Amino acid sequence: MDDFQTAEETTFVVDEVSSIIKESVDAAIGGSTYQHSRVNQWSSSVVENCLGQLTKLGKPFKYIVTCIIMQKNGAGLQTATSCFWDNTTDGSCTVRWENKSMYCIVSVFGLAI
Amino acid sequence: TAFVVEDISNIIKEAVDTTIGSSPFQTARVNAWTSAVVETCLSQLAKLGKPFKYIVTCIVMQKNGAGLHAASSCFWDNTTDGSCTLRWENKTTYCIVSVFGLGL
Repeated sequence: MDDFQTAEETTFVVDEVSSIIKESVDAAIGGSTYQHSRVNQWSSSVVENCLGQLTKLGKPFKYIVTCIIMQKNGAGLQTATSCFWDNTTDGSCTVRWENKSMYCIVSVFGLAI
Repeated sequence: TAFVVEDISNIIKEAVDTTIGSSPFQTARVNAWTSAVVETCLSQLAKLGKPFKYIVTCIVMQKNGAGLHAASSCFWDNTTDGSCTLRWENKTTYCIVSVFGLGL
């Protein structure tokens, strides 16, 4: 029981991070429509919310949070990421979110200290 | 053993130039492009032999009038870690590559 808890505290738990991301995006953009003047604020608040919640978890990790917001306009978008890290301790989580007028892709990378 | 932004920036630029160069945006090829860009960057970075973990992200978008905004936030050690983002474009495509380096 103790061992399991210790492992939980020091590994990257994808589900937990995934729900943190979803909540942050819903809270920041929710039912809003794409507005050029507000996007800057939105992407900043999404990453800041996520990072705030992640640091509260108190795990021995460094985090990188990236957020992309794109207007739904028929344009094609492709993203890829590649990581050079320690497979046993590090992990990432990407959430693709959308509403009627925009797409939002958030990625969180957690690297053990 | 520090994160040198200029070197990384050059590595990224070369990787994108050789992968996409002046090619027009083609849905069928974009997947291959993004993979090739991140893989090329990562192998060049690993060759530098520095004591870093790396994360490379690449966004390729068609020029279609759509608005795109990207942001990133990092919780790390300011003295040893760093990032570099390059915005590249040709006539039909935008490409944004970010490299994050975390000291071991």
